[in-house]
This record gives sequence, structure tokens and C-alpha cells, in this order.
Amino acid sequence: MYVAMMVSVVAALGLSAVFGLSWAVSNGQIGRFDAGARSIFDDEESEGMVTDTFPSSGAVDSREPT
Amino acid sequence: MSSVETSPDDSYRGKAAHPREAIDASCRGVLLLWYGSAVAWLIFGSVLAIVASIKLHTPSFLAEQEWLTFGRVRPAHLNTMIYGWASMSGVATLLWLTARLCKRVLPWRTAVGSMAFYWNFWVAAGTVAILAGHGTSVEWLEFPWWVAFAMGFPFLVLSVLTVYMLSDRRVEHIYVSQWYLLGATLWFPLLYVAAALLIQLPGATGVVKASANWWFAHNVLGLWLTPIGVASAYYFIPKVLGRPIHSYYLSILGFWTLAIFYNWAGTHHLIGGPIPAWLITVGIVGSMMMFVPVTTVAINHHLTMVGHFKRLVDSPTLRFTVFGAMSYTLVSYQGSLQSLRYINETTHFTHYTIAHAHLGVYSFYTMTAFGAMYYILPRLVKREWVSARLIRIHFWCTAVGMLVYWVGLTWGGVLQGRWMNNPDIPFLEIVQRMVPYLWSRSVAGVLMTIGHIAFAVSVWFMIRRKGEWLVGPTLFTSDRKLFASLDPDAKLASEAAE
Repeated sequence: MYVAMMVSVVAALGLSAVFGLSWAVSNGQIGRFDAGARSIFDDEESEGMVTDTFPSSGAVDSREPT
Repeated sequence: MSSVETSPDDSYRGKAAHPREAIDASCRGVLLLWYGSAVAWLIFGSVLAIVASIKLHTPSFLAEQEWLTFGRVRPAHLNTMIYGWASMSGVATLLWLTARLCKRVLPWRTAVGSMAFYWNFWVAAGTVAILAGHGTSVEWLEFPWWVAFAMGFPFLVLSVLTVYMLSDRRVEHIYVSQWYLLGATLWFPLLYVAAALLIQLPGATGVVKASANWWFAHNVLGLWLTPIGVASAYYFIPKVLGRPIHSYYLSILGFWTLAIFYNWAGTHHLIGGPIPAWLITVGIVGSMMMFVPVTTVAINHHLTMVGHFKRLVDSPTLRFTVFGAMSYTLVSYQGSLQSLRYINETTHFTHYTIAHAHLGVYSFYTMTAFGAMYYILPRLVKREWVSARLIRIHFWCTAVGMLVYWVGLTWGGVLQGRWMNNPDIPFLEIVQRMVPYLWSRSVAGVLMTIGHIAFAVSVWFMIRRKGEWLVGPTLFTSDRKLFASLDPDAKLASEAAE
């Protein structure tokens, strides 16, 4: 019974993936690859902008900028 | 500083995307609690790891205290690292990424914050129970049943929360990272609850228990930590570089093949065990099929970096994340090959397996989690990291420590396996031959712990807001000139600031 239960859960996980894939296809999520790849960029963090560097090694100014 | 989005997706369902600053502000208090707790568990788990490691080559070390014997300290280390450090940092990263990708503020903040206290309480209770001698001896699920069941609840809440956020997203397109995160939050609760029932119920004994154990243990990495780590890499590498990933098509292919193949792979841990051969063969086939998603991820992460490796000098996030992404490729190929019966004959029951597990959970997941935190925390607190030197100490101690750990135990493990397969060599002699390799493990553990302490100090200063102010939600004040050289708008802003 326990092996059957484990195999059922494994199958349920696999079926959830198949269901998710069919939902993604029917809702147009698979496709428009170029737009999809660029969807994480916007005006503030645009393509071509590096958004992380090491902090400065100089003195720390923890006052709020005016 | 407004961040009105320009994408046509913004009109999705008639709801405007929230400004990014508002999203970060909504995550601030809650995620600092999750991240802060995670780092505390990281330090505690590291100390347990060093104690356990020393005992392997110096068995008399702390031998008088029964609660510090190897059989208790080692599972306490494992469970504090998985459920304390890895899961708590993973939940925080998952929630921040989900909020960012759905372009909406984090809902249910009181509940999510309370869940952090609840989670900490049960991890602490489970750890005390293990050290008191009440562990289950089921690897990766050593917490007693009453802790195991209590910890299932937050996973279920997390599932509902992420589905709700996704259904109320302010953009139409679901980015590949979001697919991975959704997979983690939908699959892992099902896996965890099913495994807890299969393993903790009194009827589950012997072979069934072992099968459920290794199916679960393998999937903790594959369906919980791996999706969060890969999602982070798919977001932070292109985001930091400012260029889209190499092939979005491959990224989608990689996710769906992982979704279909990974959860079959766990039973390869039982090669040679008294379970039906077909069950093990299914695990081997699932493991070999993992070449498909891993290759897609490897191509994507590494080709996105080509021509931009010099950015590793500038960016803490990129340095840790790329280290993690490269380790993902290595550990995945290694794992698939290790599932073959021919190779498993040598590596099974040796230190090689321990090196492999740390390559996955530490070198891949933990380094990726560090990278994510170096990106996210300044945006939550609106302060810069207080010291570049601390970050460098953190990186080099953890990277070199991990290298020493992996090389020492992999090399030693192969030799150990070959010697154990030779009936002419007495077992005790093999144990003695292993001592130098076990010393390398302790040295590596000390190095990594020094790195963790440097990181904890950085995070402490960050939570106390001791760093320099950020001029905006994304740019670091110290590098206006760098940004100016890359972006005309940033150049104008830099000139105005100066």
C-alpha cells in the first residue's frame, strides 16, 4: 500500500507538470521568447544598465541624503 | 524616482504595476526577519558542522557529552542547514522575486512575518529534540514526527500565497524564474507532506521507509532548493549584466523537462538495496534524462556571461551567483553519472557522496542564495553594504573552503570505494587511510565558517542600517561613473549629482 501511495504521489507530481505545461501553451505563455527574455527590464533598470557593484571602500556616510 | 512601467503588459487586467520601490518597501520588515533568522541558523549549523567533522578524525573530541556525539551533532547540522538556513533564505528570496516578477506588493505581511517566528520555533524545537536523542534517524527528516507535521503548515501557506500573487499579477507574461518558483511552492509541500506520512506512520518500515526516505531527500534539493537557486540565477545574471539571457526558448525547455523528469530520480540512492530492480532503474532513467534540463541551464547561464566575465570583479551578486550556476552544472552532471550502476559500485557508501551533496546544497544553492541576498538586502534597507573587504573575505573563504572540501572528499571517496571493493584490505585500515582526507574536510569547514561570520557581520550592519545611503532604488552611490559609462540617462544623473 505504501509503495502504491509513493508511486501515486510521484505520478501526481508528473501530472501536475503536464497540466501546467498545457495551461501555459493554451494561455500563450510559450512563445514570444524575445519579449519574455526582456520582461525583467524596465525604465529604471533598463537593458544595458549594470545594477550591482561592490560598495565603496571609503568612509561610510550613513546620513540620509538631503 | 518614479518607476512607472512602460511595458504594454502593465495594462494587464486593468491593474497598474506597483512601483518597484513600493514592492521593496512591502517586503522590508518581513524579509529581514526571514533573512536574519536564516543567517543565525547558518552560523549555528556551521559550528555543528565543524564539531561533527572533527569527530570523524579525532573521535575523542567532546566525547564526554552525549548530546554532542556524532550521531546527534551531524543530523542537527543537516537539519538546521536545510530547514533553518537554506529554507528560510529560500523563502525570503522566493517571496521577493515573486513580488518583483508579478510587479505587485507583498500581501499577507503579518501572516508571513508570524510564519517566520513559527518556523524558527519548530526548527529550534526539532534541533533540541535531535540533540536530546529523539531524532528519527531518517536522513533529511530527523526531526521528530510532531515537529515534522507542524512544519508542513507553513509550506502549505506558502503555496497558497504564491498562487494568489501569481493570479493577481500585474503583468501578463510569466518570466522563467517565476515558473521555477511556482514549481517549488507547489511541488515541495506535496512532497513533504507525502514523505512525512510515508515515513512517520507506524506501518511504514524497512524497505518502504528507505524508498520514501531517498525519494524525499533527493527531491528536497531537486524540487525545493534547485528551483529557487536556478530562478535566482535566471533573474540576477541578466539583471546585473543588463542583458537578456542567451536563449529564452532553452530556459523554458529546461524548466518543463526538469518538471517532468526530476522527481523520478531519487531511488538511484538505493542501488544495490533490497528493493525491486525496476524501481531503481526508473530512478536511473530519470537521472540520465536530467542531462536535458541541466544542459539548457548551463548553456544559458554561461553563454549569457560570455564577454562579460570582467563584471565578476565589480559585482558581489554576480560573483556568488555565477559560482553557484557553474556548480549547478557540475553537480548535476556528476549526479547523473553517479546514478549509473557501474560508477555507483565505487562511490556508494563513501565520502564521495558527501562531497557531491555539499556541491549541490552549498556550492550551488548556498552560493546562489548569498548572491541573491547581496542584491536584495540593499534594496530592502536602502543602504549600501558596509564593507567591500568583508564581502571579499566572505567570497574567498567560502569558495576556497568549498573547493578544498570537494576535492578532498571526492578524491578520498573514490579511493575509499576502490579499497572497500578489495577484500584484501581490512576495513579498519581503510578507516585509518581516510584520516588525512577527513582533516581536509575540517579545514574546509573552518574556512567556510570564517566566511559565514564575515557575512553575518555584514548582514548585521545592514539590518542596523549602518551602510551608506543609496541615491535611488537600484544604483550604488559609489559607482555613478561606472553606470554613467554604460547608460546615457545615468550619465546625466551623475553629472547633476556632482
